Amino acid sequence: MDVALSKHGAWVLRAFFTLVVLFLYAPIVILLIFSFNSSEVPTFPLSGFTLHWYHEFLVNADLRDALKTSGIIAAVTSLGAVLLGVLSSIALVRRRFRGRAVVSALLLSPLVIPYVVFGISLLLLFHQLGVPRGVPTVVVGHIVISLPYTILVLVPRLQQIDATLEEAAYDLGASRLRTFRSITLPLILPAIVSAFLIAFTTSFDEYAVASFVVGTRATFPIYLYSALRFPSQLPQVIAVAVVVLVLSLTVIVAAEVGRRVVDRRVGA
Amino acid sequence: MPLAWLAVFFVLPIAIVAGYSFDVYSLFPGPHGFTLSAWRAVAGDHVYLRLFWKSVKMSVIVSAVIVVLAYPLAYYLALSGTKRKYILLLLLIAPFLTSYLLRVLAWKVILGDQGVVNTFLFWTGLRSPDHPLSQLLYSKFAVMLVLGYIWLPFVALPIFVSLESLDRRLLEAASDLGASRLRSFWSITLPLSLPGVLAAFFFVFVPTLGEFVTPSLVGGATGYMYGNQIVDLFGTGFPDWETGSVLALFLIAVVAVLTVVFSRFLQPQQIAAD
Repeated sequence: MDVALSKHGAWVLRAFFTLVVLFLYAPIVILLIFSFNSSEVPTFPLSGFTLHWYHEFLVNADLRDALKTSGIIAAVTSLGAVLLGVLSSIALVRRRFRGRAVVSALLLSPLVIPYVVFGISLLLLFHQLGVPRGVPTVVVGHIVISLPYTILVLVPRLQQIDATLEEAAYDLGASRLRTFRSITLPLILPAIVSAFLIAFTTSFDEYAVASFVVGTRATFPIYLYSALRFPSQLPQVIAVAVVVLVLSLTVIVAAEVGRRVVDRRVGA
Repeated sequence: MPLAWLAVFFVLPIAIVAGYSFDVYSLFPGPHGFTLSAWRAVAGDHVYLRLFWKSVKMSVIVSAVIVVLAYPLAYYLALSGTKRKYILLLLLIAPFLTSYLLRVLAWKVILGDQGVVNTFLFWTGLRSPDHPLSQLLYSKFAVMLVLGYIWLPFVALPIFVSLESLDRRLLEAASDLGASRLRSFWSITLPLSLPGVLAAFFFVFVPTLGEFVTPSLVGGATGYMYGNQIVDLFGTGFPDWETGSVLALFLIAVVAVLTVVFSRFLQPQQIAAD
């Protein structure tokens, strides 16, 4: 006899799970259907099949610019966040110092700050310093909010690694840098890749903070937001939405599968 | 170096907000010095407090409802003994990892007066085109539905982690001693998974409390939240950075208190990607 679930209970839960998953994916499927619908407005009944909206967004220069801007911001952000994340994680895991708990709390605190407040704080900071708003100011904000995510991925991985491996390398005369390069880095590489992906997707999708500090440039979420308020562009936006959703789902699944394969091979 | 980064771009900006709230800094030139007047004005103005209370209520309802919905999902994944639990977990969580705005967009398409639900009702004759269900979009209901939709996959995660670490032998022992499944659930499973439940609640409540994007897109007038008020005070219409700073600091203070209260239940690893 199963102690957690009766046969009947398991059946009910499976049905409920299926229903919720359907509820979660239905809106995405509806977007997918309407992206191929020929009518200007997404209404029933469906009016016919078209690829027009996909073509439309491919030739939309504003949209392509916004995607490019977001891509650049996300790339720089994820590099910066991973670099800072590796440094802080090594300090948190390998060093024993006073105030470690406080430091760790501070490093993770951007997880709980309301983005509206953080966005405004940055706006006031740059206003006070007289820094013009633009791509670099968005990168600054995005590094702050993605840093804790990189730490959350890197710290558990570092904890799994046997510190004696690094000590052995020192004893054999390797410098700190050499030890990091030939011992630590290869071992945490899968976690670095995950951290990079998380930081990239966080930044690419971030609207709230960016909306305060971006100035006049449009990132992809900012473009989307304005398109959402003025529904004339809705069909193309739906087409982009489908492409982005499908791409991001693919990346997520690929990253997850890749990580498990690597983990299995490393034997961790 | 990471600390220096956070000090300059995280702690310092918040200090500047504090400066504005006490009128040490000001948007308008002229004489100004330390004063509590902005704080007094907000404390005396019931509009802000009432709006804050309304946002608290909305966030509590959204968080509580989706935690209750997510619990059976996590229970199924962790305890039913299904072999594909990680695949099913990924299936459940994947929508959360896709674009936030695009998921809001989907609901806008679904709920509008000329949206999928209404036109489907017209088409099937269940509703006449002159009388669409117009409460669907631009309402408090829409804000809560969309927020719930967005956060539901996410809350399953901490609950799943706490259920998964549950020692099944405890349940077997209870069963051997004659306890029914329901009794075991109330006296063992639920209490032991409570930290995960509280963590899940916290991690949804905090961001929804300060939410302004979803309400501005699907909320209309009745779905207006505290976060929208802050944004509007810093907007281009009638900027009032002093009052806005007070509201922002108040929100941070509330979140900080909650974080301390909940901190013994929070293991940040629970929300890491796996």
